[in-house]
Amino acid sequence: MQNGDGSNSLSRRQLLQMIGSTAGSAAMYQAMSSLGFAAESPYQGPIELQGAPKGASVLILGAGMAGMTAAYELRSAGYKVQVLEYNGRPGGRNWSLRGGDRYTEMGGLTQQCEFDKDLYINPGPWRIPYHHHGMMHYAKRLGIALEPFFQVNYNAYIHSSQAFGGKPQRFREVKADYQGHVAELLAKATRQNSLDASVTKEDQEILLESLREWGALDKNFAYVASEAVSDRRGYEKNPGGGLNGKPIPSKPVALRDLLESGLWQGIPNGDTFDMQTSLFQPAGGMGRIGEAFGRELGPLIRYNSKVIDIHQDAAGVTVTFADAVSPGSKQSARADWCLCTIPLPVLAQIPMNVGQGMASAISAVPYAAAIKVGLQFKRRFWEEDEHIFGGITYTDLPIMNIGYPNTGFQSGGKGVLLGAYIWGLNAMQFTAMTPQERVQKVVEYGSQIHPQYHKEFDNGVAVAWHRAPFTLGCFGMWTSDTRAKHYEDLCRIDGRIALAGEHASYLGGWQEGAVTSALDAIDRLHQRAVAQGAKA
Amino acid sequence: MRTLITLLFIAAAASASADSPLFTSRAAIGSLSGEQIYDHICQGCHMSGALGAVGAGAYPKLAANKKFVSWEFVALTVLNGRNGMPPFGLPANRESSRATHLTDAQIADVVNYVRSHFENRYKTNVTASQVAALPHPAAELIGPQ
Repeated sequence: MQNGDGSNSLSRRQLLQMIGSTAGSAAMYQAMSSLGFAAESPYQGPIELQGAPKGASVLILGAGMAGMTAAYELRSAGYKVQVLEYNGRPGGRNWSLRGGDRYTEMGGLTQQCEFDKDLYINPGPWRIPYHHHGMMHYAKRLGIALEPFFQVNYNAYIHSSQAFGGKPQRFREVKADYQGHVAELLAKATRQNSLDASVTKEDQEILLESLREWGALDKNFAYVASEAVSDRRGYEKNPGGGLNGKPIPSKPVALRDLLESGLWQGIPNGDTFDMQTSLFQPAGGMGRIGEAFGRELGPLIRYNSKVIDIHQDAAGVTVTFADAVSPGSKQSARADWCLCTIPLPVLAQIPMNVGQGMASAISAVPYAAAIKVGLQFKRRFWEEDEHIFGGITYTDLPIMNIGYPNTGFQSGGKGVLLGAYIWGLNAMQFTAMTPQERVQKVVEYGSQIHPQYHKEFDNGVAVAWHRAPFTLGCFGMWTSDTRAKHYEDLCRIDGRIALAGEHASYLGGWQEGAVTSALDAIDRLHQRAVAQGAKA
Repeated sequence: MRTLITLLFIAAAASASADSPLFTSRAAIGSLSGEQIYDHICQGCHMSGALGAVGAGAYPKLAANKKFVSWEFVALTVLNGRNGMPPFGLPANRESSRATHLTDAQIADVVNYVRSHFENRYKTNVTASQVAALPHPAAELIGPQ
């Protein structure tokens, strides 16, 4: 080892970096918060736009969540609405891949999804927190049935390839043991009067009792194997009925092993605001929302339309587009106003006469790499063998997450797992592979957690967001610096053009950001249209 | 504490040895050559053979690219990103909280690689200190890990 002579000893920062490899941790959400994630939805209830000027029109670019929310509400308000969409389907990143679907990524590689009937993955968003009021509202209005999404499953795993011999640990055990040991230490400190300066004597009594309860400590404030502890972390042998019903308690993992494993990083995964119970998923796939929106808007949406130029003048906005199926022919559409929801990496390449502020903002936001891989297996072994019903396993392996289906429990036949949800540099490397290689690597890594993969794997699909032809990335990544410099310029109406989408929100990467940015933008566009009076 | 540090260090080294031509652990990213960086990272968007790709927008073709006459243009793009392309350079203070960035030496290496391959025939050998002298990103931004 390089550090044998001690010359290479690690700084505290390096140490934390090294153990910081367990995926899905609170650290990640801290990082995400600074990128503008984890903020509450500003949704204020259904929008009511009154009195659209007679004959006024709005051209909307993009039939994703932002564009379709805007189209739906502007139509209700009396505007003439037309939507241009690059894809041959509505929804944008609101999307489910189902058996029979084909997907061609940039570079031309095509995948045929071979999942069985009713099985799917959501390559984009897969969960809706209950407090994403805008998404909840439109799901209800469109008649979408919701199912629970299990963010936390106590029986799923936290896994580190470097700890416990690579054996995945149940979330339940890691949480109970961490909590128990910490409670014991804090109780010890209290009883040794170390907290006298911070906590009054009376409150110390309360604190001790609360620690006993919180950590399942014994009468001496110790965290040791007992029925009470097994009631948290699970039993060696579960209680049952009859002659052999007596349970056998399990043994906690030692504090030192737990600390050094790094697995404690997985404990807060359901504690962040965005991940707190309850979360939902549409029955049949996230794409059901986009599909329903698309049906609702019907002929307002023109599909397969690739925008190639956006030009505003004193009276309106003209958008030139090519038919993505037969690219030779250029056509144009015109309206009084334009709401553009095109993702920024694409928009940055489309000529558009807006001021320097908006133009700079459009070029200032890099888009995240992210990968999702759906794997179909011949049976639902995670349920049958390991009793994992929904939820997520977190791992330090490059696959980072395994998502178990939150629906179809105990159904016979095949099942589809989210075999990987990868971001950052790991995702970039997976993007650089062919779809077949991605699936192969994901099966290879995942089999370290579920050895059944080898025998039960059937087929898979892999979506790399940097290769998605309609977005060129997963979502916009802001820093506090770029927000300060560019965010307002991105959101402010420029003449007759307004932008919307998750990129124009503090809910980056969430559909709620798209919905609330669209409502905010059309509210301001409407005010401007009303102020200018009848059709310009 | 020493024991713990040694133990974690061994662990990191072990994971680096499990690398494959398709995937390199984060611990080993820092030792990738220019060619490997292209294959593992750049190729995701700029494609095999550096041919680029077209969708609603496009990823530029790097092969036979006239803009590559300027090594600074290429290095600044890798360092700071461009439009939707994420920045790969270390932040301005050169301190990274996570091993997700390319060093100045690696950026020099990948710049030299793309400027001398894929029908690009530029001879300049860019050095780490030349890259170090260019503006770096204000903040880390390669996405949450």
